[in-house]
Formats: sequence, C-alpha cells, structure tokens
Amino acid sequence: MGKKKGLNATRDYYAMLSRYLLPQKKPLIGLALLLFTTIGLQLVNPQIIRYFIDTAQSDKALEPLYYAAAVFIGFSLIQQLVSVIATYAGENLAWRTTNRLRGDLAEHCLKLDMSFHKSNTSGSIIERVDGDVNALANFFSSFIIHLAGNLLLMLGIIILLFRENVLVGAGMLLFVAFAVYVIQWIRKFAVPVWAKWRQVNAEFYGFIGEHLEGTEDTRANGATGFVMNRFYSLLRRMLPLRRKAFLGFSSMWITTIVVFALGNAMAFAISAYLWKAGSISIGTVYLIFYYTELLAKPIEKIRTQIEDLQKADASLLRIRELLATRPRIEDGPGAELPAGPLSVELDNVTFGYDDDPTLKEIDLRLEPGKVLGLLGRTGSGKTTLARLLLRFYDPQQGSIKLGGTDIRSCTLPQLRSKVALVTQNIEILQGSVRDNLTFYDERISDEAIALVLRELGLGGWYASLPEGLDTPLASGGGSLSAGEAQLLAFARVFLTDPGVVILDEASSRLDPLTEYRLEQAVGKLLTNRSCIIIAHRLATVQRADQIVIMEEGRIVEAGSRTKLASDPDSRFSRMLAAGLEEVTA
Amino acid sequence: MTTFTYMWRLIRYRQGWYIANAFMWTVIYLMPIFPGLITKAFFDSLTASEAADFGTWGLIALLLGAALARCATIVIGFITDVNFRFRMGMLLRRNLLEHVLKEPGARAIPCSPGEAISHFRDDVDQSEEAVSWSVDVFGMTCFAAVSCFILIRIDAQMTLLVFLPLVIVVVAAQLATTRLQKYRSDSRESTAKVTGAISEMFGSVQAIQVAGAEKRVIDRFRKLNDDRRKTMLKDKLMTESLDSIFSNSVNLGTGLILLLAGQKMRGGDFTVGDFSLFVYYLTFVTQFISNFGKFLTYFKQMAVALLRLTGILQGAPAAVLTEAHSLHLSGEDADAAAAALPKDERLERLEATGLTYRYPETGRGIEGIDLRLARGSFTVVTGPIGSGKTTLVRTLLGLLPKDGGTVRWNGRKVEDPGAFFIPPRSAYTAQVPRLYSDTLRENILLGLPDREDRLERALHTAVLEEDIGRMQDGLDTVIGPRGVKLSGGQAQRTAAARTLVRDSELYVFDDLSSALDVETERKLWARLFRERGDATCLVVSHRKTALAQADRIIVLKDGRIEAEGTAEELLASSESFRKLWHGDEG
Repeated sequence: MGKKKGLNATRDYYAMLSRYLLPQKKPLIGLALLLFTTIGLQLVNPQIIRYFIDTAQSDKALEPLYYAAAVFIGFSLIQQLVSVIATYAGENLAWRTTNRLRGDLAEHCLKLDMSFHKSNTSGSIIERVDGDVNALANFFSSFIIHLAGNLLLMLGIIILLFRENVLVGAGMLLFVAFAVYVIQWIRKFAVPVWAKWRQVNAEFYGFIGEHLEGTEDTRANGATGFVMNRFYSLLRRMLPLRRKAFLGFSSMWITTIVVFALGNAMAFAISAYLWKAGSISIGTVYLIFYYTELLAKPIEKIRTQIEDLQKADASLLRIRELLATRPRIEDGPGAELPAGPLSVELDNVTFGYDDDPTLKEIDLRLEPGKVLGLLGRTGSGKTTLARLLLRFYDPQQGSIKLGGTDIRSCTLPQLRSKVALVTQNIEILQGSVRDNLTFYDERISDEAIALVLRELGLGGWYASLPEGLDTPLASGGGSLSAGEAQLLAFARVFLTDPGVVILDEASSRLDPLTEYRLEQAVGKLLTNRSCIIIAHRLATVQRADQIVIMEEGRIVEAGSRTKLASDPDSRFSRMLAAGLEEVTA
Repeated sequence: MTTFTYMWRLIRYRQGWYIANAFMWTVIYLMPIFPGLITKAFFDSLTASEAADFGTWGLIALLLGAALARCATIVIGFITDVNFRFRMGMLLRRNLLEHVLKEPGARAIPCSPGEAISHFRDDVDQSEEAVSWSVDVFGMTCFAAVSCFILIRIDAQMTLLVFLPLVIVVVAAQLATTRLQKYRSDSRESTAKVTGAISEMFGSVQAIQVAGAEKRVIDRFRKLNDDRRKTMLKDKLMTESLDSIFSNSVNLGTGLILLLAGQKMRGGDFTVGDFSLFVYYLTFVTQFISNFGKFLTYFKQMAVALLRLTGILQGAPAAVLTEAHSLHLSGEDADAAAAALPKDERLERLEATGLTYRYPETGRGIEGIDLRLARGSFTVVTGPIGSGKTTLVRTLLGLLPKDGGTVRWNGRKVEDPGAFFIPPRSAYTAQVPRLYSDTLRENILLGLPDREDRLERALHTAVLEEDIGRMQDGLDTVIGPRGVKLSGGQAQRTAAARTLVRDSELYVFDDLSSALDVETERKLWARLFRERGDATCLVVSHRKTALAQADRIIVLKDGRIEAEGTAEELLASSESFRKLWHGDEG
C-alpha cells in the first residue's frame, strides 16, 4: 500500500516535470552547465589547502604558498559569481514554469461547473492557485538540477577520497548511503502534519476573505463579536497543528546534526588510524576532514530540497486533485450554431441537482425570434431551466436543441457565444468600465460601448465618469448603485451577438421608471432574436408571445399569451387578476 | 510608528515567550563552539609530540555528546519559537480584522478583498519572520563574541584580518538594502495584483462563464503573472547578490588565513589545529553575517509590510496593529451578546439634518438630506436608480463615513453612528446581503443565543419557514461560500431573518423584496406590518405594496429629496412619484 502510494507520487512528479519543466531545454542545459562549474570549483579548493599544509610543514620555499592562497581566493570569487548567475537563471525558469501552471490551473478552475464553485471560496482558490503553486516553485526551478548537481558533488568527493585511500573512500560511501537513507526515512513523519497545516491555513484565509466581503452585514447587525469568536476558535485549532509542523521541521534538522557528528567521528577515527600507521600526511588528514565537512553541503542541500518537496508533496497532491476534478460538463465535438435567431426545443427533459428531480419531463418549443414568458414561484425550476440552456448542467434525461442542433454537440464557447443570460446577481470585477463590459475583448470599439450605454439610458452616468471608459470600478460594484450595475449587465449582452437571450429576473432591482425605459432598449435588443423571460412579475412578460407556467418542476400551463389571457379558466388569467389586485392594493 | 517601535511592541506582546525563545536560541548558537575546540584538539593530538589529554576515542565521544546536546536545545528552541511567532502573527491578524470590522461597513477596506487577503497573509508573515529573526541575531552576536575571544587568544593579528572584511561586508549590505526595499515593494505589489486577479476571477466566475470570456480573462491573468516574474527576478537577483557577498567572505577569509599562515606555520607557533579552528569558526561567523544580513533584509521588508498594513487601517494610527489583546487560545470565548437597552434610550424620534456623502471616485452621492422618523413609523425611501437610496441608509447608519450633517437619537447627537447603530438599537439588511459558508442557523443568529423561540418568530416573519421545511437538514443546512446554495430570494429572506431575530428599535431594509415572487412578497410585507410591534422601520423600495402602506414616503432624485408625503399625497403632487408608481404599467 505504502509502496504503491510512493510510486504514484513519483509518477505525479514526473507528469508535472515532463509537462512543465522538460520542454524548457535550453535554460535547463545552461543552468546545468553553471552548476557543474561551481561543483568543479568546490572540489578543487580542498586540494589547494592540502598542498598548502603539507608544503608549510616541509622545508620547501615559501613562495608557492602565496600562489596557492591567491589561486584559492580567485577560485572562490569565480564560484560566487557563477552561483549568482545560476540562482538568477534558476529563479527565472521557476517563475516561467510556475506561471504556466498558475495560468493552467486558473483556466481549469474557470471551466469547472458551479458545483465546484459553490463549495470553494475564492480565498481557498487563491491558496490553491497561488499558495500551493508557490510551494512547488523550487521543485520546478532547481529541484532536479540541484539534486543532480549535489549527487554529483557527493560522488566527486567520494571518488577523490577513494583516490587517497580505499578505507576512507569505503567508509565515506557507507556514511553517505546511511545519511541519505535516514533523512529520507525521517521525512515520512513530517509530511502529513505539513499537509494538515496547509489545509487549515486555506480554511483560515477562506474565513478571512468571506468576512472581508461581508463587513456591512456584520457591522450593522452587531455581529462583530461573533466573527471575532469564530476567529479565536480557528486559532485554537491552528496552534497545535503549527506546533506539530514546526517539530516536523526540527526533526529534520536534528537528524542531519546527528548524522554529521557521526560522519565527523568516523573521519576522525579512520584518519587517526591511517596517520598513526604512517600512510597519510597531516595535509591529507585535513583534506579528509574538509571533504567530510564539504559533504554536509550536498546532503544539507538535498535535505532542504526534500523539505521543499515535503511542502510540495502536499501541494502537488492537491493540485493534481484539482486538475483531476473534471467539469461535469465537457465540450462537445464542436458544431457551429447558425447565425440569427435560434429555435429552442426541449424534449422530455428531466434534471435534478441530486436524486430529487428539479425539472420533470419538460417538453417545450419556441420558434426562432419569438419571446417566451416563463412564470412560476421561487423554486419551481425556472432558473434551472435557464442553466440547462447554457449547459451549466446537463439533463439526466431528454435533449435540448437550439436551431435544431443538440447543444451537447457544441463546444462551450460556441454555445455560450450564442446564448446570453442576464441574471439579477451582477458580478462587477475590479477593473475599468470597459473591462467590465467587454471582458477584455479588444474587438469591441469604444464607440459601440458608448452607443449601447446611451441606448440603455446610462448616457448621463457615462458622461459623469471622470476617466470615461477607463474609470476604475471597485470590486463588487463600489460606487455603482445596484440598479446601475444591473444595467451594465444588460450592456454586456448588448455588446455580443447572441441568437437566444435569457433574462432571469433581470430587471428586479430596477425602479419601475427605469424598467420602463429599459423595455424600449430591450425591444431593440430582441429584434431578430429568440428570448426567454423568466419573471415573477407579470408586467415583465407583457412582450411575450408564448407563456409557460411552471410548478414544482413541471409545466402546468403553456400557450400563446393572448389566448391564455382571454381564457378566464387559465392560471395565467387568474394570475393576471391577482397581479391587478397587487397594483390596486 | 517607526519599524523599530513596531518590532518592539510586537516583542512586548508576549515578552515571556520572547525571552525564553531568545535564551534558547542563544544557547543553540553557542553550541558550535565545542565541536570547533574538539576538532582543534584532534589535530593537535596528532601533531603534538606529547600524549593528548583525551585521546582519539575520548574526543570522538565528546563530539557526539556535543551534537546530542545541541539537538536537545534545538527541539526546545523550536517550541518556544513557534509559540511566540504564532501569538505575535495572530495578534496582528486579530487587530487587523477587528479594525476592519469597526470601519464603516460599506467601505471597510481600501482595496479588493483578494488584495486584503494578501496583506493578511504575506505582510503579517514578513513581520513575523523579522521579529523571530531578531532572536537569532542576538544569539549569533554572542557566538561571534565568544569565538572572537578564543581566536584572539590564539592569534590576535590573524583574527583582526579575518574579521575586518566581514565588517566591511555588513556596511556594504546596509547601503544596498535601500535598493532592495524598492524592489521588494514592487514585487509584493505585483503579487497582490495576481492574488487580486484570482479573487476577482472566482468571485465573478458565473459572469465570466456566461460571457464565454474564460480565455480572455486567463490571458490577462497570465500577463499579470509575467509582470510578477519580472519584479520577482529583480528582487531575487538583488537578494542573491547580497547573500553571495556575505557567504563569499568565508572563502575570502580562508584565503586570507592561507596568505598569513604560511610563515607562521613554518615557524611552528600556528598549528594545523589552530588553522582548523580558524576555518571552522569562520564558517559560523560568515553564517552569522549572512544571517545578520538576512535579518536586515527582513527588517527592511517589515518596514514595507508595516506601510502596507497601515494602508488598510485607512488613516487610523498604526498603534492599532500592535495593541495587546487576548487571543483566547485556552478556550474561553469573549462575550458576544448585546446588552439590553435602557428604557430611556428607546427610540422616540430619529432625526438627520444635512446628511451628505460623496463617493470619492465619482463625486456623486447624497447632498443635504433631512430626515425624521417617529417611533413606530414606517418610512419608505424610493427614487430612480442611482438617486442615492442605498447611499442614504448607509450614511445614516454609519456604514459610509458621512461628509456632513448630524444624526440625533431622541434629540441627542450620535457621535459615532457606525458603533451606535447596532442591535438592540437598530438592525439592517443590505441590498445584496452577504452570507457565510456555515449553517443556515448560524447565518441568521450570528452568535446570538436563541432565546424564547425568537428564531422561529423571525423565520415566520421573513416567510422562510416553508423553505426550511423543504431542506433536508432544515436549519442545519450548510449553505456554501457566500450562501450560493440558496436561491436569490432565499438569501434575501435569510438576511431579513438575520435582521429580525435581533430585537431592535429600528429595522432598516434595503430593497428587501427584489428577488421575491408576488405571493411571497405580499406575505412578507403583511407579516412585517403585523408583527413588527412598535418597532420603527426604514425601507428602501419601489414596490407598490410597500409604498401603499407607508406612513411616509421620501422620493430621492440625484442625491436630494425631491418630494415627501404619503402615497396619496405624492400621487397628487409629485410628477416623479407618479412616474415611479405607474412606470410598470406604461
């Protein structure tokens, strides 16, 4: 079981590497060359010191000693220069690769359906897309190269020690094998704690994010104390986990200290034995000591690499999990929907968010260019129907066709460029007015935007913007009134060219006067388009050609509006009567 | 506040832990003194003619003993460090959060929530790091002093020549760090932009999906990422060059020792053991210098973090950040229940005169609003979009900082409306209410104890009891982040219940029924009229049901009051009101 898991993890790493790092061949080779240079320089330096000590102990001339010292200093300077360049190159590579991963992850998440977004706060997504990827940064940049480089340095030291004496070489080889094994072994204990810490951290920032968004509600309802108490109770859960994570770290450090003390002890024992036997010089004793100390570096490096890997382990696991989360809705093979108004056909559609169906055996047909008024109480399934048309969900049974094409055969961009939806929840991004209207589509000209804003009665508002379309809008709308925000949502649709427009309670935040004005603009928008108006107010469906009334997921009445209105027994005419009562109440 | 005072106050917060931590890390840093001396003794025992004190095996045993002792201190050091660090960092986060919750609710943070999270996360982490490293600096200075003493006793001239370059390095680094600060602040800014972009993207995910704009949004995100790479690289190059200068001094020092030692070794007054000790300590001394440099860097970074954290406070003094407060780590919760209102503070009349607020971005807002609410009255604010209805109630309740005007409660001036207008005086439902990822019950009660079935009554008034009956887990249903698992109408009524469950003198509802169907809306208004008792209501709405039953209607236009009166009066006198009233029939 444990082994299998390890195998999977290795495969995960390899998959990540081959997708993101290995394609970057040139920087990788450059980086490798830089690192090999520093390794060579590091191996040479102790040889200089040995030469120095042995010469100093002898009666030879003093002059070579000064040369040796000068060469030593020169080599160290070059080594430092090379290592700065190597770090820079490595860092650059890391950012390039992780930025690609960040982009891919964000793209993947954006494609996931609402069931994912409903259970993940944007704070926790920040932790995934940025926090977890940061933890992987080192793994991408330097892990492989540092690992290879340091293994090579280790190998070099051992070979050089074998050259001195077989006993020393063999001893050190044994020591290295032992050290690597022990350090690898201790790692097992620290990983799970680290994962838990990251988890609770993500939860913590999710909490903070939510409450930074809800300050108005919290403040005015006197819930500040409640929020603080929630904060404290999170802290109480976090402290023990952080303590454990820190102890995990300390265990790694401690292990290396003990291992190196053992290494030094062995070097002392062996070299003292060889010295007393007269087979090595005092310079060589120092060389052995120096190389043993030098061995600490690669093993230490490997330790920190593994520590990073530890953090990466947990992060990688979560990233893989995230990437493995398939959207429930996948692109179809691709089929272009015809231009112009589209007919809408629902054939025996049944759908439920869970086992309990929200829509039951819906049959519906709307001719191209016609307007359908969809009525029903909250929870009767109207909004769900709209979501199905945009393929936020797929029906469990039955099919939906637009312009005669099954929407499951289109790709999502193909479908969504032809079906527009305006809801009453308007999401305003932090960015300029233009960005909010076009979503960064640079093909839309400023004139077109200004025209649309004027048509929607936002001309005065547009004129008051200090920097025109470049005026920044705060996240969540800020200085926009809710009604203005809703009109902006309309403007978004006006700027695209859909074949079907769905208005889901789209004017509920508007005052009657603005709503009336909007009607004129909407009339224009709907010429030569099919439209579905979802409403719980009757006034909104006045332009409908056809009426459908839903109740508990079923169509309970359908027909042409004029016909239903003139039939005194129809639900629609009863609703009309009730609606009039509301007006005269 | 200077960075130094900032650090000092953070240390003072839990000084017991800090002192324990400083002590432990000083011991940890002093420990390597022993292996150095043991190594020297080893080489000396080989080269010296007379027998050594301990012999090879004795030295080896000492070496292992020293390592084990160091390990023991490290474990304790980590425990003291994590305890101090956690408390200090979380105090900062606590104070930030508390301050944000005290700010006018509709303008609580000066940036997007995503950016604010990066302040909560990274800037606090940086401060934590800097304070924690101050301990290391102290410990390492002790090590430097002791090792210097030992080395000077061996060879004073050589010690001087080895340590001198190190001093130069520190000075050079000092000079270079001003540069670093700028790069650091750039890179932090670009990071905040990236996290901000993520938060925006996923806060508006549905709009993006509906618009099919995924690719364009991602392209922009990738561009932001690349900007961040560039600033990060500058930052890293600078840090790395400094680091390299620090660590290069080891080799430089060793080189200098070699230059000087040749002569002395030949003379016999500098042994191989002495040489090994010099090189051994040199490594640690350099580590000390590079760590000292690291601390300086962290300290500078902390200055940037402090600046950014102070930015969130929107003008409040930075001392707010470091105020000492309990973190309630041992379990006792702070008292969250609101006290009952004394009788003479019960609302008789609420007046506002000359109330003014202008949005800094656009200059629009409300201008010179006069308002009077009598006990038990039902007032409706109406007007076309953008006329300032929401701004009016927010300014009245202190959720926006007013630019002018006074608010009086029973004739007494309200100094801090934001802190004053809370239950049991008033409760409020925002136009777009925010719900939290918790159970429905918690979202409504927000920590309020459920006394005398007031929850049940609130649910009834808010017409929510049927919806809850249909949910599998009833009130214990977890509603997902921002309450996304509820429909728009359910979210609105949940927020209304949240307001109603708080027995208050004044209820303020902003656009309560925008997402409700006719039948539910009618029930809601009817129940509200019937069950509110003698509570006063201020409501933003343009629904006829509400307008028709109002005692008084205020018609706003372009941020000013255009007309006032009952529906009947206004229908007769106000053209704007007639348009608003008849709009949906036209």
